[in-house]
Amino acid sequence: MWLYIVRRLILLVPIIIGVMTITFVLVSALPVTDRLTASFGDPSPKAPWIYEPTLAPGTGPCPGPPNNKSCPNPVYNRDIAILGLNQPIFVQWGIYIYHSFTFNWGTVSNHSSAGLLLKPIQGLPVIQVLGWYLPYTIELAILSLLIILAVSIPLGNLAAVNRNRPVDQAARIMSFSGFALPGFLLASLVLAGALIGIGSSVGYVVHTPWCPSGELLYQELTGSWPSTSCFGGIGGAVGYPSWLVNGIYTTPTGFPTIDALIHGYYWLAFDTIVRMLLPALVIAFGTIAILLRFVRNSMLEVMNLDFVRTARSEGIPEKTVVSRHAGRNSLNVTITVMGLLFAFFIGGFPIIEDVFHLNGVGLILAYSVQNTAGPIDYALVFGTTLLFTFIVVFANIIVDVLYAYLDPRVRLG
Amino acid sequence: MIGRTGETGPTEPEPVGPSPDKAKAAAPVRRPLRGSPRLAQYKRTWYFLRRNTLAMVGLGVLVLFLVIALYAAWFQPGLPWGQLNDFCSTNQGNGAPNDCVPGQAQICTYAQGTTAPHAGCYQTPSAYPSVIPPTLTFAHGVGPLPLGSLTVLPTSTLSYSIYQGLLRGIDWTLIISVSIVAGGALAGLFLGAISGYFGGVVDEVIMRIVDIFLSIPQVLFVIIVVAVFSSTSHSIAGLDATATDVLLVIVGFMAVWWPFYTRLVRGQVLVTREQKYVEAARASGASRGRIISRHIVPNSVYPVFIQMSLDVGTVPLFLAALAFLGFKFFPTQYFPEVGVIAALSVTNLQGFLDGCQVGICYIPWWQILIPGLTLFAYAISVNFLADGLRDALDPRLRR
Repeated sequence: MWLYIVRRLILLVPIIIGVMTITFVLVSALPVTDRLTASFGDPSPKAPWIYEPTLAPGTGPCPGPPNNKSCPNPVYNRDIAILGLNQPIFVQWGIYIYHSFTFNWGTVSNHSSAGLLLKPIQGLPVIQVLGWYLPYTIELAILSLLIILAVSIPLGNLAAVNRNRPVDQAARIMSFSGFALPGFLLASLVLAGALIGIGSSVGYVVHTPWCPSGELLYQELTGSWPSTSCFGGIGGAVGYPSWLVNGIYTTPTGFPTIDALIHGYYWLAFDTIVRMLLPALVIAFGTIAILLRFVRNSMLEVMNLDFVRTARSEGIPEKTVVSRHAGRNSLNVTITVMGLLFAFFIGGFPIIEDVFHLNGVGLILAYSVQNTAGPIDYALVFGTTLLFTFIVVFANIIVDVLYAYLDPRVRLG
Repeated sequence: MIGRTGETGPTEPEPVGPSPDKAKAAAPVRRPLRGSPRLAQYKRTWYFLRRNTLAMVGLGVLVLFLVIALYAAWFQPGLPWGQLNDFCSTNQGNGAPNDCVPGQAQICTYAQGTTAPHAGCYQTPSAYPSVIPPTLTFAHGVGPLPLGSLTVLPTSTLSYSIYQGLLRGIDWTLIISVSIVAGGALAGLFLGAISGYFGGVVDEVIMRIVDIFLSIPQVLFVIIVVAVFSSTSHSIAGLDATATDVLLVIVGFMAVWWPFYTRLVRGQVLVTREQKYVEAARASGASRGRIISRHIVPNSVYPVFIQMSLDVGTVPLFLAALAFLGFKFFPTQYFPEVGVIAALSVTNLQGFLDGCQVGICYIPWWQILIPGLTLFAYAISVNFLADGLRDALDPRLRR
């Protein structure tokens, strides 16, 4: 088993290098100034000249009027040399791969959309920003994965057992509508529906047990954790816990529910999970739609196999046959498909986190690709792409290991 | 999308009634099917497809979409071909300025609680002078406004009828999705056939590249392609900014889509190349190119058709997601596309949802419901049709 895992991990390296090569090709297409900004951050207002190849007389270290000649820019040349841009393309590639593996993923720009929308991350290394935002996404992903498995496996089995009965048809309709509804539309519809439904019956200001002073319904339904009004009245931030740093990430672990428990804010941990439920359901819906069909079909295949007939003929109750004998054997397909779907699953996060204003990596990506408030933040775009790819690749490893655990033929073959 | 054609197995019920062979045997007077065996196969497929109600419903909706795409001008009398009817409001309530420029189609609005200036004016909610509630009346000349209007910002002048945007957008939706899927499928067919037939090192290399592409989330890949090249490639000769961006999106999506097809085709080719007729062709001295193009590809192409028909429904959803994430690659007045209009509606609605933060909750829900339903109808009917095609084409599912 361990040998199998190690073999899989070794096979991982070429794939990661391949992905980095693709991003390298794309990065190479950027103008040099953009690449330098992405790697080393914005030029400071004191030295706006640092990314100019040659300096005009009188700027920076270049001497002024007496000899009036432009001179080479030492800062520019140093930065170019660090990225290897003055060297052959293969050396550039090698340096890029090295930087990517050592998490030198660049710096967030001050005046890009992401920097302007999230002021606390301005000028920070990309990897640090992603480190703040990743734990929330992991929690959200785990919750929606749990929902996916808890819904699609029993429902798929039920649909297979009651083939062509109303349950099966309902499952089919659900899966078709999952194919046909884009995530952002479903998310906004759910949000608007919840706002209209709850708001018109309860009112647009709600008093939850964890926010007795009252909070606007919209703020209760969106955001990762309560707004400042819950801690010290509207507009005041008197009691706002300091471990919710800037309202964008938590300390010490970064996982919001765990941190809330560590600090003894039990209601906040509960509230964080409650706020995750709606987005997790929306994310889960698209994946459930696809997975459901596979579970149903693999279950149908397994139900026709000989060992199921044998089990039935032995007088084992039908319930046990379905759940123990057939269900476990159809799990293989479920897990394989889940591995294939993971890229699709994780690709839905930017949109959902954007709609619900959740402090996850997806929000970072959604902000960084916008060019409305400012230019696109290339460092963040490429950083999040690499991160998402890592997540997908490692999820596939986990799936493979699970698969090998369930099916001895795989790990021994 | 992802491996949905992988669903096989004894899933569908047997078609009730006689199979065509039996029908022929029962009526020996009928002349045999003329033409090539392939033509007969098409007829048989159509026979099975016809019996699938959902597939027929899907086909009907798609035909309706096609008719709208071809004859959109019929549904919008008085509208110049080629652009949306961008309109402005006159007589706006609560002191909002008249934002009309010469030549713009004007509509008359009046705020809730005030009296209409004259007949034919639309009432708007008092806080939002440009949001017109859904109405089913046609008003020729001033720009028809059924199903509500879409405003990018409550105070912005960029506003147009959702109805018109959807009508004008369907043709682009069809063109873009078909071209993306066709391009991806062609590349996948070519590479998959080579990979599956030759095997060995070629197979290994192509499949590892496929693995690499498959591990990047699809939307992200298109995003970075567009983000990188959009700013640098607007100078391509003869193309304006919109056309370049559309082209970039199409190319980016093709780059995302080919690995799925490569995998699918390779799997099929691995089965096909072991068949007796391929062996016979090889024994009779046919060249590799001939074997691949005449024997292997035609016999492993059906799953590709099914996957293509499924994907044609998925592409607009991805386009919409891309547009929603902030790529305003389509100036919407002149380039409407169903997914993009849905995305813009949601972006617009978010402005109103954010308005709830200051306590005024006004949610023009129809602005996302109508474009959403259009997108949904398109995607789900494509899915129904593709599902029916799979059942009709795959003999294992029929029996």
